Amino acid sequence: MSVRGTHVPEHLRLPIAGVTPPPTEKDGQRLFPTGNFRFFRPVYKDKTPPCNHACPTGEQIQKYLDYVKHDRYLDGYLTILQDNPMPSVTGRVCYHPCETACNRAAHDEPIGIRGVERFLGDFGLALQENPVIGDLPPLNGRTVAIAGSGPGGLACAYHLRRRGYASVVFEALDRPGGMLRAGIPAWHLPEQVLDAEIAKLAGLGGIEIRCGVRIGAAADQGGGQPALDELASRYDAVFLALGQDVGRRLDVTGAQARGVIGALEFLRETGLGRPVTVGRRVLVIGGGNTASDAARSAIRLGGGEATIVSLEAEADLLIQPEDLAQARDEGVGFRPEHALARVLTDEAGNVRGAVLTRAGLARDETGVVRPKIIPGTEAEVACDTILVAIGQVQVLDWLPARATERGLIRADEYGRIPHDSGRIFAGGDVMRGPSMVVDALGDGKRAARDIDRVLSAEPLRPDDPAEVMPYEKLNTAYFRHAPRTEAPLTPAADRRASQVTEVTLAYSREQALAEADRCMSCGVCNGCDNCYIVCPDVSVLRDARQNGHYSIRTHYCKGCLVCVQECPTGCLEKVPEMDFDEPDAVVRMETAFAPYDGAHAEQAPFTRQLIEDAIADYDASRSNSQSIHPNGGGGTP
Amino acid sequence: MHHELTVWSRGIIMDKEARDVSTCIATAARQLGYYAENVSDYVDDPDRTNCLVRRYARFADAPILDRFVYENPHPDWIVLVEETIIKAVNFFRGTPDGQGVLVINSARDPRYLLKFLPPHMLAKLGKLVVVDATGLAEQRGSSPWMFVRDLSELAFDRMSTEGAVERLAIGRGIAAPLIGALVAAGGDLPVDAVAEVVADREAMLRGAKQHTVVEEF
Repeated sequence: MSVRGTHVPEHLRLPIAGVTPPPTEKDGQRLFPTGNFRFFRPVYKDKTPPCNHACPTGEQIQKYLDYVKHDRYLDGYLTILQDNPMPSVTGRVCYHPCETACNRAAHDEPIGIRGVERFLGDFGLALQENPVIGDLPPLNGRTVAIAGSGPGGLACAYHLRRRGYASVVFEALDRPGGMLRAGIPAWHLPEQVLDAEIAKLAGLGGIEIRCGVRIGAAADQGGGQPALDELASRYDAVFLALGQDVGRRLDVTGAQARGVIGALEFLRETGLGRPVTVGRRVLVIGGGNTASDAARSAIRLGGGEATIVSLEAEADLLIQPEDLAQARDEGVGFRPEHALARVLTDEAGNVRGAVLTRAGLARDETGVVRPKIIPGTEAEVACDTILVAIGQVQVLDWLPARATERGLIRADEYGRIPHDSGRIFAGGDVMRGPSMVVDALGDGKRAARDIDRVLSAEPLRPDDPAEVMPYEKLNTAYFRHAPRTEAPLTPAADRRASQVTEVTLAYSREQALAEADRCMSCGVCNGCDNCYIVCPDVSVLRDARQNGHYSIRTHYCKGCLVCVQECPTGCLEKVPEMDFDEPDAVVRMETAFAPYDGAHAEQAPFTRQLIEDAIADYDASRSNSQSIHPNGGGGTP
Repeated sequence: MHHELTVWSRGIIMDKEARDVSTCIATAARQLGYYAENVSDYVDDPDRTNCLVRRYARFADAPILDRFVYENPHPDWIVLVEETIIKAVNFFRGTPDGQGVLVINSARDPRYLLKFLPPHMLAKLGKLVVVDATGLAEQRGSSPWMFVRDLSELAFDRMSTEGAVERLAIGRGIAAPLIGALVAAGGDLPVDAVAEVVADREAMLRGAKQHTVVEEF
């Protein structure tokens, strides 16, 4: 059909089918904008996945799982390194609060995040060159003193280096690593992995580790050891990550007997490769992870049996569930709800047995949980070694009294301790009591950021509140149920025989991929294209197939919210249209189909121009070719 | 005296409310002895959810001569049944300068709503009337307000009413407070007389009392 030869008043000229671009084509929506049609506008708003939120270091877990899915291991590794300097360590020993928080637990089973982290960490360790080095800023000439080379201290040194600061890390033992070496057995964390991670950090340049220096030891004990004020005056800032390496002592008869050993001291000597002996019948007093580690190490070392005596009931043991299961497999015995009453010794002062009583934990009238012994239930057991794992402390008498409280360092919400300089921070176990490796790593990261702020004269401020994506807001119809791949284990019999055989083994590439593939990308756009596909009005645009690279054509979107409904991850949400009050958020219908008075149509100038251009193009194409293919192709030139 | 009322609304989901406003105004005006006309169904009945639709009424103390021009050429009373329409269209086309009485169903601050009017529309505005009609209306059934319901419930309850006789009472729900606010602010019709033709008289009177008028822009 042609309008040529027919007089059509200009204000009634309507777009002509086939000549003017339909809404599905370029400029089509410009021609047919429908104005504001909606009550709600779909908006891409990424939220914090629960794993990311639960991780004390704030690892962007969703992001690196996504990289693993796409075989981009280096990108995944670098993503971890933004927050955590030692994924090969945490990939082995972390108590994975991320997996506990994983929304997938409500769906089927949580994702094996730790295993994937280990996979990426080991990938990174195997690289010839440390990929971080190229991106580091030059040193800015300022140096921070860090007390303790455990996870907290090393993380702080690493994150300071990423911000251009040099650091000197003081370690009391003769090898760096803190509790990673002296508290975690080698069958959890092989020595060569730890050494490689520390070497990687030391290789960044600007991080100096001085072993054999115990901060704060009185001058009459060590002689010339730096004390707090000295550190504060000699360095630009100080981070205290001393840890808690002194085991609590037993207060029972016979506690001085030969064969009563602190579990921490036992693990430290073993970890440092010094000669340690235990008997074949070992009692471990305590119900936590240290007790479990000590018992399992004792079995490996002495070849005998070990029994964990705990006040806690069997179901209330504070041992990480998978560690507990592994301990049972290795033959560790349990005497729950028992307490050690006294140690029996022979004439030479060696342990020959112990008297246990039934006991439990109960709240007293002030609400504090205390041990409660049941009298008259004493029974004797034979043993030759008693490992004591009833808690740990740190010697802090060299710190000013106002900086300590009940055996811990007292710090404000930023981890800063009361000191005239205002540049002394603390973190890790010595501040928060016995806690996870990853807590210390997070404290180190936080301290580095805050030290940077203090030294740049910026105010300290808390983190922005995170909006964590709950399971209920995901569109779970899109996620098939898939079982979790458990990390493979060395057989229990082999484990019992060796102090160095790693218990938990690595995921294969396929297994890591399968686990990463289970990630639901809670609250974060993973580029699934669903919104792009389901939009009935061609209002979702995709310029690049990448995370978050969609946009909503607000001039055309009708607000049907199908995209919001069908977004699997919940990163799309509806926002009331009236909340958008910036001038360009107002799109009035000024086009061919606008309902105006009198006539049906009055075209806006740009619309008229578009139509005229389209007609001109059409005319030009007709004059250039003799035959017109209905679909526009095939004309002879 | 000559008033032209254009009620802007959203297709299907708030069609009934818009129709009730124009019907009640025209009915009351006629009962009061004015010449009146009501166009409750005209071209923009596209049966599309959310699409802009209009209902027209006019009344005067002289005969209406251009009675076949259904779309009001010079509307001076304008009702937006739903607040987002303020962003959607130039509803002041043809309105005499400074004489537009704009009634908006909104719980928002009138000053916030004024941000959405460009200068050429502000020039037409004489009186901004903001009434929280949704809040003032009598609740009916499980969920009386179409536009906050999901579509499945909506389709079950209210199909398009194009061309049909009214099945439900005229002047219920959010229409009633809107009529109240319009009549009270418009000034030429007595509130009590109009209330007689509105099904939910109490809600109409609530709207007549509880609204905000802004005359300084």
